[in-house]
Amino acid sequence: MLEVKNLCKYFGGIHAVDGCSFTAERGKITALIGPNGAGKTTAFNCISRTMAPTKGEVWLDGERIDGLRPHKITHKGLSRTFQISRNLADMTVLENVICQSQVRGWRDLFRPAMSPEEIEKAMGILEFLGITRIAHEDGSNLSYGQKKLMDLAALLMSDPKIILLDEPAGGVNPTLMEEIVDHIKKLNAQGMTVLIVEHNMELIMRLCDRVVVMAQGRVIADGTPDEVRSDPAVLDAYLGGVLDEEAA
Amino acid sequence: MVTTDNSQDIIAQRRAYNETLMQAQDKTRATWFPIALLALLILLPLLQLTGTNYNYVIHLTLYTMCYVVMASGWNILGGFAGYISLGHNVFFAVGGYVAGMLFARLGISTIILAPFAGLVCAALGYVIGLITLRVRGPSFIISSLALVMIFRIAFENWHFIGGAAGVALPANGLPVEWAKLPYYYAFLAMAAFALWASYKIKHSKFGMGLRAISVDEIKAESAGIDTRFYKVLAFALSAFFVGMAGAVWGEYLTYIRPNIFLVILISVNMVLMCILGGKGTVAGPAVGAILIIAFNEFFVATLGASTVNILATGVIMAIALIFFPLGLVGTLARHRKLPRILNWD
Repeated sequence: MLEVKNLCKYFGGIHAVDGCSFTAERGKITALIGPNGAGKTTAFNCISRTMAPTKGEVWLDGERIDGLRPHKITHKGLSRTFQISRNLADMTVLENVICQSQVRGWRDLFRPAMSPEEIEKAMGILEFLGITRIAHEDGSNLSYGQKKLMDLAALLMSDPKIILLDEPAGGVNPTLMEEIVDHIKKLNAQGMTVLIVEHNMELIMRLCDRVVVMAQGRVIADGTPDEVRSDPAVLDAYLGGVLDEEAA
Repeated sequence: MVTTDNSQDIIAQRRAYNETLMQAQDKTRATWFPIALLALLILLPLLQLTGTNYNYVIHLTLYTMCYVVMASGWNILGGFAGYISLGHNVFFAVGGYVAGMLFARLGISTIILAPFAGLVCAALGYVIGLITLRVRGPSFIISSLALVMIFRIAFENWHFIGGAAGVALPANGLPVEWAKLPYYYAFLAMAAFALWASYKIKHSKFGMGLRAISVDEIKAESAGIDTRFYKVLAFALSAFFVGMAGAVWGEYLTYIRPNIFLVILISVNMVLMCILGGKGTVAGPAVGAILIIAFNEFFVATLGASTVNILATGVIMAIALIFFPLGLVGTLARHRKLPRILNWD
């Protein structure tokens, strides 16, 4: 479904992403892991066009999207969250979510900001995530975890085909992490394709169908969690110690 | 989305709750006040029938309304989208010159030409926006200042439009107590339209997108908002209103000259009015325009037309912003103390 071919992003002499290629299959949860500085977030940014890639191709459903502007990519059905939750303070959670509802054409532009249908849809999503009680709270008053959930809610408002989650469980407490994992699983069960960047190995191993391992801007391994676990290159690059301890 | 069996109930309850919230919001709005204000302003010129000449009052009201149009226009870009422009007097000048030149050559009143002049400014704003809106923050402010300088040089050296000396326009032939009225009503109509349009924009998808852009442009972009188009359209719309005001202002003064339109004071005034009143609110620019013009007049009257009066206005501004950092309307609304009559949002 999502195919990344030879993606490169150079910042001057630094090759943050250097010929990265992988695919995310439809209906699967694919994880992108790697040590700090491996280029995971940069790769994400290039896929969603928050940054322009230096070279390489990104294909979504047989359509090349690396030349499109970011909002077009969202319209094509690829939505993302950010590592550090970016939300629109001053707006309520409901407005934050509805803001992501897609606007097309001139006539759409000047219709009321929140139609009853949109409010209903947004409330449905908040219901699904269990955060209806904060619907009318200002985005700036939320806790970190609530922001993460709101990001996820906003993401779903745009009816995406594939969602890119950048550390969805980073910095949240274990209970909430379980909740988020649960939501991702439920979404996936409904057919949502998920690409996820995460540092929490235990979560990755439990949640993902496939794992792509990056190091120094390149993909060094690609396979099921078990395959990746035993891949010597991965162990060498970064997982080694952790997994040995777990296996023991 | 996913709904389990008992969630239908909850959703029904939620819906009822949302409706009560909406109603509560409606109740805090006092639509009668702007309408009453409009009626009062329509009737104000009747003072001229009392025998005393109230031209000064008429002029001051007209001047204020001119700034309400401009500040509301500026607010679309500066308040809603968060792009502070110090170059909006360029559109004031272009509007004034387009309408003024057509008036001088063809004799069509600038009041009729105002929407056309506004559209010319909007087109110009669209093109300028495509270029300057690629940068934000201080770079954008500097680019807008550069715009004023470019236009000042161009206008002062373009002989077709009179160069630095400008062009004198014929005055209308009405008796002195009625001469201001056509412009008065033109500005009243434009001010009402500008405020109505601000309200409509603020409550549209477009306005929501602009708010998103003002907070976090990268997030807005990834939310599927065509940020470049939204920004440029906001620029064009704000240029439209400023241009319309300029068109009628030229005929009202009976001459158009670069140093009337292209002085930094005019664009600074627009910005200060929005900041004092509360940028990003609908009533803010109007409140700010009234206050700043009132302070200016008061200090000119008491301290004389020296630099001291500007200093006094500045001190008032500074004090006001210490206590109302988001502007009067913005700060009061934040603390939920905004009088209902000023809740135009």
